[in-house]
Amino acid sequence: MTTLSAPPQVMDPPPRYRRPLGLGRETWLQYGVLGLLALLVLAPIVPTLYQSFLDRPLYEAGGLLSADNYVRLFTEAGFGRVVLNTALFAGLTTVISLLIAVPMAVVVVRTKLPGGRVFAAAMQWPFFISSLILGFGWITMYGPAGFVSVQVREVLGAVPWNLYSIPGMALTEAVALAPIAYTFCANALRQSDASLEAAAQVCGAGPLRNLRSIVLPMLRPPIVYSSILVISMSVETLSVPLLFGQPVGIDVFSTFLYRNGLQSISPDYGVLAAASAIILVVTVSLVALQAKLLKDAQRFVSVRGKATRPRRLDLGWLRWVAVLAIAFYVVMGALIPLGGLIFRSFTLVFTPLQSPLESLTGSNYERIFTYPVYVQSIVNSLLVALIGAVLVSALSLLAVMVSRRSTFRFARTVEYLALAPQAMPGIIVGIGLFWAFAFVPFGLGGLIQGTLWALIIGFGLRALPSGFGSIAPSVMQIGRELDNAARVSGADWVRTFSRILADLLRPAFAGALILTFVTLLKEYSPAVFLGSADSNIIGTTMLELWVQGNTGSVAALATLQIAITATFVGLAGLLLKGRHDA
Amino acid sequence: MPEVKVSNLSKQFGSNSVLRDVTFTIAEGEFFTLLGPSGCGKSTTLACIAGLERPTGGSITIGESTFADEGRFVPPEGRNLGMVFQSYALWPHMTVAQNLAMPLKIRKIDKRRQGPLIHDALDKVGLAELKERYPHQLSGGQQQRVALARALVYSPSVLLLDEPLSNLDAQLREQARAWLKRLQEELGITTVYVTHDQVEALALSDRIAVMSRGEMVQIGTPKEIYATPATAEVAAFVGRSNFLEGRMASDAEVLLDCNGQTLRVQPGGVAVGQRVSVAIRPERLEILPPGRTAPADVNVLEADVLTSSYIGSRYEYDLRLGDQAVQVESSRPGLNGRVTLVVEPDACLLYPTVGVLSPDAEALITVTG
Repeated sequence: MTTLSAPPQVMDPPPRYRRPLGLGRETWLQYGVLGLLALLVLAPIVPTLYQSFLDRPLYEAGGLLSADNYVRLFTEAGFGRVVLNTALFAGLTTVISLLIAVPMAVVVVRTKLPGGRVFAAAMQWPFFISSLILGFGWITMYGPAGFVSVQVREVLGAVPWNLYSIPGMALTEAVALAPIAYTFCANALRQSDASLEAAAQVCGAGPLRNLRSIVLPMLRPPIVYSSILVISMSVETLSVPLLFGQPVGIDVFSTFLYRNGLQSISPDYGVLAAASAIILVVTVSLVALQAKLLKDAQRFVSVRGKATRPRRLDLGWLRWVAVLAIAFYVVMGALIPLGGLIFRSFTLVFTPLQSPLESLTGSNYERIFTYPVYVQSIVNSLLVALIGAVLVSALSLLAVMVSRRSTFRFARTVEYLALAPQAMPGIIVGIGLFWAFAFVPFGLGGLIQGTLWALIIGFGLRALPSGFGSIAPSVMQIGRELDNAARVSGADWVRTFSRILADLLRPAFAGALILTFVTLLKEYSPAVFLGSADSNIIGTTMLELWVQGNTGSVAALATLQIAITATFVGLAGLLLKGRHDA
Repeated sequence: MPEVKVSNLSKQFGSNSVLRDVTFTIAEGEFFTLLGPSGCGKSTTLACIAGLERPTGGSITIGESTFADEGRFVPPEGRNLGMVFQSYALWPHMTVAQNLAMPLKIRKIDKRRQGPLIHDALDKVGLAELKERYPHQLSGGQQQRVALARALVYSPSVLLLDEPLSNLDAQLREQARAWLKRLQEELGITTVYVTHDQVEALALSDRIAVMSRGEMVQIGTPKEIYATPATAEVAAFVGRSNFLEGRMASDAEVLLDCNGQTLRVQPGGVAVGQRVSVAIRPERLEILPPGRTAPADVNVLEADVLTSSYIGSRYEYDLRLGDQAVQVESSRPGLNGRVTLVVEPDACLLYPTVGVLSPDAEALITVTG
């Protein structure tokens, strides 16, 4: 049977895409991202591992492989003591930061607390302040000659604490890391099902009973993985051990590397590399453990039908105790040290024995602005942070797209590579890249060595996980069906990204830019090895001035860095908000 | 409009096999529905046709072009199909017109032709006046129609619909169903529709394919699927059925477990002595009015009324048959106590499987005491 019908509508054929060498362009892009990430991550690791088994510096010919370096590390170099110190420091730091963070999270998120929102916002402070600056601040106020210490000695006749000790270091580090544990616990509490508590209340449980029997047990998973994170961060930190431990000879992992690599006249590269390799094994296993626990923990997140608004528990008079305790932490831990440091930058002498107001001066700033090297270090910091933020955010965005939004065979590998620098201490990134540049053939490494680009690579590598971590959730929030709709409509993977997702991800990208800028501006530890006289940044200059005893100028530089961060974040916030309203 | 041929399609995620040997052919212009409970593989099948999933085996051909076969895989952008997603997937940062323009821009269609094409497509779904709105300014029903317009604007060869009505509220869904059927008939476009809603499938489709656990169980017209389900599973999933378990007493008689009575059934080639399930639709069980005698050739069952519910157009009775509850639909109100049920042997569908219902459902229809 045939029927006459209207002539069929002319169909437009699906679009054609160029396929260089027979492979789709997404394949080229995806392998490109994989290759670049692998190069970046392996560059510091491979030379370090190689050097750790080599009997002479790796740029000298005729090296022989042996495990000699590891033997010497523990026999001659006294690494055993270092391991013990590090374990004590990291353990104590973790305990103290959990003691601060867990009760605070419960009280702020779960109970009726006057000013709860202010406190929740205040816990963001370490995001803006580098731990180096916090260390300076604590010494300025609570160190042996610190403002508060001297005042206390006037009253009591002695200072009942000693900052230059492992407990002192741990306390300072814990104050800086507590917000991380707090964030994990607070998020878990916000996500937990409020009806569980309501059920306990209906059964007759009072607020305290509820906290003890329902809320705290549910916090076990975030406590476990935030404590692993805190351990791994205190294992790799340089600032506090360098400022507090070095003067009294307490060595931990990072200061051991610092001392042996920089301060000795003829550094033993073999021992340095062996120590780095061991530290890497520790940090990598900690981060891997944490990632695994986090993944397991997510399996237990129950899917709820209705979003229930949590009813906050009423603690009665106890809430004022809680407010005082949190205020004490914020004021004593952050506000007084930082305020003191800023105040210090405007005085000649800073001691309660003589009113600082009598010696108000701008000379600390004058010194910085009269010497071109110091000005240059500020410019360098800004350059590294700006260029680095753009590059890192762009690479993070690509890495997220490939790992979470493609059928690329090595999608998981891309994600692991982008997150791997979490496990790489800054100082080891510095040493490893230093060797990597020395290792590059044809002297190409020499072109980068000691320039700002070396710093951008080193700092950028360290900032990559934050960039990835800030973009990934936004990408996951965009329904996959939006991609699929574009694909079915005729867009290939690259075009789906450029036409649809790029527009939708603009706010996430801006967020990543801000986050990585601030992270890069705070960073300094890789520069200890990668920097040169021409590529000093604020952090390394501060260390230099500190060693010279120029604490006034250190305070001035620190103040400038805080001011730059505050201005940038403020401006960016305004810009983003303006866009939102439009 | 070309025909769609899917043969021996299979898909594995790791060691988990989600599609096994799925084969069907869709004729030109046909409205073809993939029906099944969630996790049965219907959406994966649709994603394989669209090119969003890469099948591990089998082939997919539409018209003259083979889209997937041994070593061959055309990505979705090379297939020229139209698809409507469950969430509609309208790009939120573009207006309705921009959403429709995107596939045209990708195809590098002349700017002057784009306007009329977009207008025509929106006109078909009756939304031509909403061109400049953003998706979030539209109601759910409007979004669903815009998604359909976007899938049609570039004249795709086949239309794929992934549960497009499931996000609408119940009342709108029935109207949208009728509208969708009219539109598809007008356009005559070959359509593959995925749903877990059996009422929707029965109402819309020319043919239905029922899937279960990654396998194709039955393909047929809505009437065939409802009247002669191929397996007990289909009988349970499409429409409602009472399942009575028992043992074959002869080649056309079942000895029921629930009350020890013998039930005449359609001879089904099942060996005597084997355990079986008999499926009976609630509307095929008739309640005999008092004072009437049953015809000689039907089954007669004695049951007690447990509850009766009025559901608008008719009554639903829960009856006790031995130790089991059975459901009966009737237009007669107010029945009580002992009643006589009659059912014709050809309404008693015989399946050589037992334990069709889940343990939960089993517990709910067991009557004790």
